[in-house]
Amino acid sequence: MNKILQQTRQHIVILEASKIISEGLYGVLFHSEINCKIDHCDTLDEFFELFETKTPHILIANSMQFLNREKEVKKIRKIHPNIHVVGMDYMHMPNMNGLFDASFSLYDPEEQIIQTISKLFEKQPFAHQTKTDDDSLSEREIEVLTGIVNGLSNKEIAESLNISIHTVATHRKNITAKTGIRSQSGLTIYAISKEIISIDDFS
Amino acid sequence: MNMYYHSKYRINSEMKMIHLLEENHLLLLMLQHFEIDFRVGDSTIAQLCREYDISENLFIGITNLYSGVRVANNTSFSKKDLLRVIVFLKNSHVYYRSDKYPQIRNFIFQLKQNHPDKELKLLERFFDEYFAEVLEHLNYEDTIAFPYFIALLENKENTAASSNYSSDKYSEHHTDIELKLKDLKNLLLKHLKISDDWMLRRQLLFALYELEYDLYIHSLIEETILIPAGIGIENE
Repeated sequence: MNKILQQTRQHIVILEASKIISEGLYGVLFHSEINCKIDHCDTLDEFFELFETKTPHILIANSMQFLNREKEVKKIRKIHPNIHVVGMDYMHMPNMNGLFDASFSLYDPEEQIIQTISKLFEKQPFAHQTKTDDDSLSEREIEVLTGIVNGLSNKEIAESLNISIHTVATHRKNITAKTGIRSQSGLTIYAISKEIISIDDFS
Repeated sequence: MNMYYHSKYRINSEMKMIHLLEENHLLLLMLQHFEIDFRVGDSTIAQLCREYDISENLFIGITNLYSGVRVANNTSFSKKDLLRVIVFLKNSHVYYRSDKYPQIRNFIFQLKQNHPDKELKLLERFFDEYFAEVLEHLNYEDTIAFPYFIALLENKENTAASSNYSSDKYSEHHTDIELKLKDLKNLLLKHLKISDDWMLRRQLLFALYELEYDLYIHSLIEETILIPAGIGIENE
């Protein structure tokens, strides 16, 4: 089993009008080691509607759903190149080049279906694969954080640390990504609770 | 933000409200903002809409938002619908101003009393500053934005035009008050060490989630219903 599939939650959409088939696939996915959240759509239009607010990682579709709608599907694929499209083969899979990244047959054993999906992620660039769960700040980030908490502007922080404003902005982004906190006053409380700064500076 | 609290299903006007509430009890907030009595009995959506004089189109549109489904771009609402939307939004302001925020404030205050750590004093101050910002925003909407939209919808174009205001300006001012709420949640869930006090902390977190949920829908209503409609009328 591919590590990313276990570590980062995959949003999977099943596009299949048959209740029996979608429920069956649902069961196969849920019992696998894939860490996933699953939505279901009966029709391609319903999928497009969902797509307005969500970008799923994997779409598993009855290939017949794409019939005569190839252009729209291709357009979506172009806009969202990272979405993996897996086709379900009903013995008579129409020839739809470029619409699917992989496909499996309804009669494939469960492990094989999971393997087909898992294989998609082997091609992913390294950067996607290993994102550490370590949320502790680096030394540089702590210096930038101290600046933010003391009310310095990006420019002032850049000057005091002798780095570019652009770098400061990147550090800020990473600080927010790690701590989940955006506002200056929220970061102040964070810094005090982690004893990065002393409370006496803020009475 | 993941607001798919519930699986997606098509809502139609023959469904009973009580069944929808079973699926998603947070729809109670919607009922309150619509001023629909919680004792919905066996009424279907169609019956409730008739009784409370709300169009099914609007009711289903907002119910969908509460269930994580956006209003489709081409949905159009009547002027009467939009006036109703404004009443709905004003009612949700009352909920924020006099109900949810004071409740959260009270929880934080109690926490601070129980734990004399300095962090909690700061948290209280953080909240108070945030609450002040929220109040300012709500007042702005009540006194400037909504009256403008009402004038626009009631065909008082002159009044609306002379106010030198526009939907565009509104969407600019439309600040993200959900942001600091997230900070607050993350401080409690990831960073601040507070020992015990399970009940109080859980109550506080529940309240924060509930508020976050309603605020999210609130801004969706503004962004996907009110602002596009306002721009549409201005361009007429």
